[in-house]
Order: sequence, then C-alpha cells, then structure tokens
Amino acid sequence: MFVQDLRNDFYRQLVGKRILIVVNYDIDAICASRILQALFKYDHMLYTVVPIMGVTGLKRAYEEHQGDVKYVVLVNCGGCVDIVELLQPADEVTFFICDSHRPLDVCNIYSDRQVCILGDASLEENIPAFETIFYDSEGEDEDEDESSDPEQQHDDSGAGESDQEDQAPRSRKLSRLERHEQRILKQRARRQWESERDRIMFEYTQFSYYGRSAALMVFELAWKLSKDNMDLLWWAIVGITEQLLLGKIESGAYTLELEEIQSHVSRLTNKTNDQNTMSASKITFENDLHLVLYRHWPVTESMRYSRYSSCQLKLWTLRGEKRLHELLLEMGLPLVHARQTYGAMDLVLRKEFFSMVERLAEKYDIADIVYGTFTLSYGYRSRYAAADYVYALLAIMESVKKHKTPEDCFLEASDALSRQHKQLLSAGIDQAKLLHAAVFRQVQSSLEARQVHSAGSFFYYVLQEEHAFFSYPYALGLLARFLLRGHVATSRARQAPDLPLIASCPLNASEGMCLLVGIVPVREDSPRNFFGKAFEQAAQKSGVALLQDFFEPAVVQLRQSDLTRFLDSLTVLLA
Amino acid sequence: MSRQTKMFGEKAFDLLKELERSSQTIPAFDDDGVRQVLEEIKAIFEENVAQASSYNASGDRSLWPLLNFRHAALQRNKRCLLAYLYERCRRIKALRWEFGPIIPGDIKQALCEPEVTFFNNYSKSLAAYMCSAGYNQGLPIDLTNNLRPPKSLYIEVRCMEDYGKFELDDGEVIHLKKNSQHYLPRAQVESLVRQGILHHIA
Repeated sequence: MFVQDLRNDFYRQLVGKRILIVVNYDIDAICASRILQALFKYDHMLYTVVPIMGVTGLKRAYEEHQGDVKYVVLVNCGGCVDIVELLQPADEVTFFICDSHRPLDVCNIYSDRQVCILGDASLEENIPAFETIFYDSEGEDEDEDESSDPEQQHDDSGAGESDQEDQAPRSRKLSRLERHEQRILKQRARRQWESERDRIMFEYTQFSYYGRSAALMVFELAWKLSKDNMDLLWWAIVGITEQLLLGKIESGAYTLELEEIQSHVSRLTNKTNDQNTMSASKITFENDLHLVLYRHWPVTESMRYSRYSSCQLKLWTLRGEKRLHELLLEMGLPLVHARQTYGAMDLVLRKEFFSMVERLAEKYDIADIVYGTFTLSYGYRSRYAAADYVYALLAIMESVKKHKTPEDCFLEASDALSRQHKQLLSAGIDQAKLLHAAVFRQVQSSLEARQVHSAGSFFYYVLQEEHAFFSYPYALGLLARFLLRGHVATSRARQAPDLPLIASCPLNASEGMCLLVGIVPVREDSPRNFFGKAFEQAAQKSGVALLQDFFEPAVVQLRQSDLTRFLDSLTVLLA
Repeated sequence: MSRQTKMFGEKAFDLLKELERSSQTIPAFDDDGVRQVLEEIKAIFEENVAQASSYNASGDRSLWPLLNFRHAALQRNKRCLLAYLYERCRRIKALRWEFGPIIPGDIKQALCEPEVTFFNNYSKSLAAYMCSAGYNQGLPIDLTNNLRPPKSLYIEVRCMEDYGKFELDDGEVIHLKKNSQHYLPRAQVESLVRQGILHHIA
C-alpha cells in the first residue's frame, strides 16, 4: 500500500525501534541512505546498513540480518519484485520501500500491511485496478460446493416424502443442467478475464522507467520533520542529478523538480547566520554546461570527453578537431589556456567562459549544452558542481579491484559524500577522468573500425575481452550511450536515430559470463526502456539461461557462448 | 696484544639498551644486571673511601681528579639504575590503563616482587580516585574505558571483519558482517571497537 504522509505513517512508526536498511548499489540510493542515517541519528534509533547489488544479494542480506528486526527499509530496491514471496518474512515484519524504479510490482502495491511503499499513489501511472488482476475466486468455490451438496443430501436421506422426492429429482435435474451450463459459462468468462489480465499486466510491465528520486523523497521527509540542513539538501541534489545524467529521467521532469529544490535552497541559505563569510558552505543555482568535470580539466579535454559536445561536433575526427579550434577561436580562448587545467586559466577567461559558450552554442549546434544545476562551495578552494559529485561517485563505485570488494567501494562512495573526506572525492574525480578518457578512446576506435553492427531493428556492439572499466553496468551504460549517439551522428541511415543499441562486455573470462546492456534510441526523449521484458521473452524463446539479477531490468548477464543465439532470437522478436 | 679494559658504567648502559630494545613490552626484570651494577657501585665506592681515608693520612692532593672521576662514575651508575627502574614503573602504569586491574600471567613473570606491589598500589589509588570522581552518582566512573571523553550515547560503527552475532543489553541480536554499517549504543560496543573488529566512524 502507498504511504503518503511520510512523517506519521513512516517515521513515527520507526521511532525507538531497530531498523534494517538495505541499500541498492547506485548513487541515488547512497544519497538517500545517508539522509536516512542522519535522520535516525537524531532520534537515536539503532540501525544497520547493508549494501546489496541484485535480487540474490537482497535475499542473502535479508536472511543473514533477519534476527529480531521488525522493520526493514529498502532503498531503491525491491519495488519491482514481490517482496513477500521472495523473502518469506515472518508476519510481524514490515517493509518500507523507497524505490525510484518503476513499474512497481502489483503485489507490493496491493499488500495490506506488510509492504508499504513510500510515495504518492496519485502520481503513479497506469496501476491496474485491483479487480482486474486479482480474481475473487471464492464465489466459484461456493457454487461447486452447492452443486455437490444436494446430491449428497439426496443420497443420505433415503426416507423422505414421496412428493418431495418426485419433485426433487426433476428440479434437481433441471438445475443440474442449468448448473452445468452456468459452470461452462463461468469458465469461459474466467478464461476471458485471465487473458484480459495478462494483457493489462503486459502493458503495465512492458516499459521500465524511473519515478521520483529516492533521495529527494527522503529529503522532503527531513524537511517536514524540520531536521533538514545544507548537507542533506546537497545529497538530495546529487541524487536527482544522477537521475538526469545517467539518462534515467527526462529533462522535463528534472526541470520540474528544480523549482522545488530552489525554494529549499533559498530557505536554507537564509537560515544560516554566516552567509556573509566567504568560506561558509553555500549552494547556488546556476546555469551550467553539460561538460564533464570541466572545472577540473583542460577545456579541450572536457569538450572532447563529454558525450553531447563530442557527438555534435564529432570530435573524434580530424574535422571535428578543427571545428573545436574554430569554436575556441571565436570564444577568444587562446589554445595555450585551453590546454591547461581550468583552474590555471586566466581569471578573466574563466569568468567569461560560460557566457561565451552560451553565445556560440546556437551557431555550433550545441544548443542543449546549457542546463540548470547546483554548485556547492565551501572553504576558499572547494567548488563542486553536482555533476562532479555524480561522476566521482560513479567512478569510485565501479573501481572494484582484486582486494577491493564492491562493498568497500560502496562504503568509500558513501564516505566521499561527507565533506570531511575531501581527498576521497578528489580521488574519485581523478578516477572519473580516467573513465571518461577510456570511454572516448573506445568510442573513437570502435567508430573508426565500424564495430557497431546493425541487426535490422537494433544495433549491437560486442566487446571481445574484459576491460578494467567496462565490465561494470554503469560504465558500460555510459559507453553504450556515447557510442549510440556517435554512431547516429556519423551514420547516414535514415532510421539510425530510431534504433536502440545493445552493448555487451565479458565479465570475467574464467566463468564465461558477459554483461548485456540495452539503451533506448536517440530520438526517443523519454527513457522508457522495453528491454527488460524483451530480454526475458527472447531468453524464453531461445532457451538461454539469463540472469536478470540487477534491479535495473535492462542490464542482464548471460553466458558468452549463448550470446549469438540470444541476439538472433532478439532480432526475431523485435522485427 | 689487546687488553680488555672494562669501563665503568657499561653494565648499567647495557640494562638501558635492553629496555630500549623492547620499547612496548616490559622485559624480564634483569635481577642479575641490577645486582652487578650495584656491586660495581659498591666497588667504586670502596675504592674511593680507601683513597679518601689515605688522603686524610697523607695529605697528598695529586690523586684528587681520580677521586672526582670515580665519584662521577658512581653517579652515572646511579642515574642509569634509577632510569631503568623508573621506565619500568612507567610501563607498569600504562599496563593498568590498557589491561585493567589484573596483570596477565606472562607479563607478571617479567616483573619482580616490588613491582607487583607497585602495580597493586597504583591500581588501588586509581580506583579510589575513580570512586571519588563519581561520588555524585554513587558509582565509580571507569576512566580506563575511553581514552578520550565520549561525545554521544550512540556511535556509528563499520564492521571490519565477520564477527557473527552480537547481543545487546536489551536482547537485540545484531549480525556483524564485514562492511555493514551500524548505529549502536556506545557503552556496549566499546570493547569491540577497542579490539578493532568495529571501526568507529567519526
């Protein structure tokens, strides 16, 4: 069931109790869990935070940490699977789900008391009505009982009045025929109802998309409890920026949320007393550029490695490079300065950089490069845009090494959010630079070698050997999006912008598993992804063992050897 | 032809070198060494006394530097011995803060009788102080629990290794698995933090 009044129905229920927080492996979830932890600390509620990566991880974590816990909060996980069936919890355990994945599982929505989904039911779309999916099968059972009972009665009561006996068999026979007909009619109706239900469910679960950011929802709870502050607001901003940058929500939805966040920012900035000192922590709203980490890099590099500018100007070709130099020339930015780190450029140039790019954006066809976002500045030197945080955290999360497990990376990313651990954030930014440079190089080599193949209704791209960066879902997703845009920019086929892309990369050579990611076409504005269902059906048809473990349904794992068979059946399916 | 000249103060220096080598633990009380130093002191003193009394008789001043030299050697031996004993006492005091009022058996063997008495007396003084410091509440404050004053009732900890189940005072069972983060009452998880199983996140 939906819980809209977070303060009374969610928070007040949890005060004084012990809570298990299960967190999914993505940035929005990390931000939401940090905000939740800060809230719980105020009221001294004991909690335990467990990071997980997929459905099996969720099951394992629940089984291990079950203990005496009566309240479990699932952050960005578990909304789309039937929790009660998956985890088989005891009756007193209550689950609170704060998930931005959609579509939500119907069993979770219509559960009575065990599963509570935080959010507004009216904002959700297309939830099937209860009657259309859950069949009230009690009526039919009663009928069956009735039809068998009178016969038994007749057998038992041997002695009876003859009149009644004469009449009874006749009415019984008639009604038996009638009843038989009725039963057939009912069965037909039932079958019809079932096919209708399958159709509704298919339509409901066909597209997977994302709803409101979990971090933002938890921040609103903090606001209603009057326990919000700049730190929590900043984490909420990072959460929603992640949704925009990784293509989970469309820019329209993002702009809608911006207004609300701006009101929070102005309220909190006016609350603090020391807003006049230079070194106070401030969050400012400004129009910023879609250039990756441009404050920490030379301008040329950030232009080259950002997906939007790179694909519009085609910066992996020689001609593209020339256009970039033209653009810099018109902006009045000397090449010497453009090749140095942003912080080392002249102050005048830095101040004018944004306005110059904005002015020339139309001419060079990079109009969408400007977008509204927030910047955090504290102390005299630190100034970070929300996007910087997102990319740094992404890089940290995917920096799994031999002695560094995914949980270590998760905890490191969680630490990097707090302002005390600035060196973790800087390390993350460096790592993110390497990641983006690697993505660009890969895209360049793939486009030149024409490694993106078309399978009629979609493109596919297969990496042959495992890569330090691209064997992880988010990095592979970044690469795939960049590649698709680049391919669309260079190819002359008319339907190129309408075709989606499937990218695959081996996970580890020893087990022979590989990771598969599906990306929506370029022309589609909304990030509704139908690949979840498509993968499932293709796997069924071709008999391939598919591991749809992650909570993002468009990311799956399968065996390297099954890849071709799977792609063939997918081609047939989507044709 | 090499003559092995024995310097004054060598044995005392050896004692101190031994102590310096094992800087954290307390080595066994070098009974022998201390006795040798004491004997050396005695020998030098006797020589000096003999020389001083001979001076009284003869009035010969030419051997005065030798007297001074022996006196200096005496004082040096005394200083080394005192430093040795004092350093050991200091480490014993630290023992009380780390291990509590009972000395572990293997360390006890390294201490001599007076040192054990010293430890017990120190323990007693500390306990009396802790009692008096907490006389408002009627309970002694265990100062040895935290080396820094605690700031809050609950602390956030991260689990460094798999520990298994841990039961709190009110019966709640917490499963301590590697890399899980918890928020627990300070008093009960302090021992785990000290052992290094949980890491306190500031």
